[in-house]
Amino acid sequence: MINKKNSLIIFIVLIVGILFTSSVMAQETVELEMWHAWTGQDAFASEVLLPKIEEFQENNPNIKLKIQVIPNDSYRTKLRTQAAGGQIPDIMQTYPGSEVQPLVEAGLLMDLEGIIDYWTDDLIPRDSLSAYTFNDKVYAIPAKVNYTHFAFYNKDMLAEAGYTEWPETYEEFKVMGDALKENDIVPISLGNKAKWVLQSIYISTIGDRLTGIDYLEDVLAGERKFTDPAFIKALDVIKELADEGYFNKDANSLNDMEMRQAFYQKRAAMFFGGAWDIGGVIETAKEEDMNVGIATFPQIEGEVAPKALSGVTGSAFSIRSGLSEAQKEAAIKFLKFFYSEETYVDLLRTGSFVPAKVDLPADISPQFQDVINLVNEHQIGPVYDAVLPINLIQTINNGLQSLTTGEMTSEELAQQMQDNL
Amino acid sequence: MEHIYKHKKKLIYLGILPAFLLYLGFVIIPIFISARYSLVEWNGFSPPSFVGLENYAEMFGNNIFWRSLKNNMVVVLASVLGQVPIGFLLALLVNQKIKGRHFFRTIIFMPVVISAVIISLVWSMVYNYNFGLLNNILSFVGLESWIQNWLSDPDIAMFSVAAVIIWQFVGLYFIIFLAALQTVPDEILEAAKIDGAQGWKRTLYITIPLVKDSILAAVVLCISGSLKTFALIYVMTNGGPSHATEVMAIHMYDNTFNGMKFGYGSAVSIFIVIFGIVLVTIVRNLFAKFGD
Repeated sequence: MINKKNSLIIFIVLIVGILFTSSVMAQETVELEMWHAWTGQDAFASEVLLPKIEEFQENNPNIKLKIQVIPNDSYRTKLRTQAAGGQIPDIMQTYPGSEVQPLVEAGLLMDLEGIIDYWTDDLIPRDSLSAYTFNDKVYAIPAKVNYTHFAFYNKDMLAEAGYTEWPETYEEFKVMGDALKENDIVPISLGNKAKWVLQSIYISTIGDRLTGIDYLEDVLAGERKFTDPAFIKALDVIKELADEGYFNKDANSLNDMEMRQAFYQKRAAMFFGGAWDIGGVIETAKEEDMNVGIATFPQIEGEVAPKALSGVTGSAFSIRSGLSEAQKEAAIKFLKFFYSEETYVDLLRTGSFVPAKVDLPADISPQFQDVINLVNEHQIGPVYDAVLPINLIQTINNGLQSLTTGEMTSEELAQQMQDNL
Repeated sequence: MEHIYKHKKKLIYLGILPAFLLYLGFVIIPIFISARYSLVEWNGFSPPSFVGLENYAEMFGNNIFWRSLKNNMVVVLASVLGQVPIGFLLALLVNQKIKGRHFFRTIIFMPVVISAVIISLVWSMVYNYNFGLLNNILSFVGLESWIQNWLSDPDIAMFSVAAVIIWQFVGLYFIIFLAALQTVPDEILEAAKIDGAQGWKRTLYITIPLVKDSILAAVVLCISGSLKTFALIYVMTNGGPSHATEVMAIHMYDNTFNGMKFGYGSAVSIFIVIFGIVLVTIVRNLFAKFGD
């Protein structure tokens, strides 16, 4: 009897318990649709950002994130197209400047002014949010600062050609390029099929240095022109690199992954990439026993801002406007958890630069310490595709490809950009 | 047969209805919606503003558009003059009672069912300048001077891409022709044989006229398919280098979804539709005129 009674009580308790929890869950489970572009190949995503999302889901069983991962190249197109149809997810990665602007202007995103103090009080300077600030309102919190220009070079291959040091000036760089070519080594690995590489990585920094870091804003304001000799000179540098055969011949049919592979397989002495490449290069160099140096483009005669390095904040999440109160609360909870001081410190450890003011962890790798020192010698300048409107990005992306194939001159491209302004 | 169906017209319409509704909703109506969009300037976010025929004017004044049209014509010609004859010849061969024809039938049709993206990736590797199969074979047989930068050289990239398009779709026309050839009655062929028509003569004067309708259908399919071509080129070259392989569909996609010019993109789409109808009409008339 007692046994029977006990088991009955246990049974009732269980039933009540199940009913209770399920009713609680039914009441409070919030579903949020989330899109991001971190496929997990890069250290910053696989070691920090993706685990962060998982941790959040474990800690908050009543908030259900329905996640879609879309690779970077198609992410922007997909988001733009869906946004045009008014169908965007609740939380989404947004790209800086002119990319996110139309979404903001269409009123699709929630401004974060109500909660921005959580970050701006002492973690992130308001200046660092400028790429996501429109009409003095912030629409996304970035996780990283993406410098879009670094030179990664194989020290051994340079040494074979007689160079133990990265050249100081562009003139020396060209002499080194010729020496490498004489050794039957492709000086620079380039993969420009997707067309953004020459723009984001090359012309952004080279242009910023020759024209000054306020140039693009001045042009957009109508105070200067794309036909400015300084800008044409920047384009000429790209053209010269192509005409002199410093790039691999099939540059226009390779993507950026194949570009890195060629470097890792020692088919080229260097490649230019962004901060997103640093972790991978350091890692691969270790595995393959490669002797890799990291630098930035050598000094060109006539530079206005010789230390400019193009960079922009990224890996930012925005929240859709028009969420229900419960969804909004959940989304804000996620943002606060995701962009915490701890995240920024972890990101630093994986070799990423962050917009937050956090102390460098003591256990940071010496290679990354070197890169930080390198960046500290520079000043941040604009990235072209984070500042220019979309039709000009298209013009310059296509135009740079035409420069390398000899179908266009620098003057013609500059004129075309001015015309399309 | 006819009179049986006559009394069942209602049933026939009922049977067609589901497919027709889908076709209406996903093909016909969108064409009209596109036609309307082609008259506005719209970036997808701000309200569209009516601009009349300005998008069309911009299109006809755009060098890149003309280049994409020219590239598209390369694809159309390569398909009509490549896919159709090669498909027909292969069908004639496999239609003979040769050994292993089932095997050949499968092999030739295979590329049609493989995803365009996979084909593009494989051919990108074949064409690769440094370690691609093609250049390797050329240097192996001592033809170093023929080695080309197949996809990066703007002068030849379009032809490299067109070759892959031919390769992929030969199988489709091959199957159409094979099916048609099998409907040619043996008696007629035998009669021709007795009358002394041998080999090529028999093919030319007996077989081809009997499958004329299938040839027309194949050419029409070929033209419309070529005007829509997108995926292969998008993956292999992304329309580059410097627009050298940009066809109209890529020009449309690039402007619509990367340039956020929905009005302009719609104008290009409408042009593709009209251009396709005109081409197909011309071909049909040519067939009607010279076919008999």
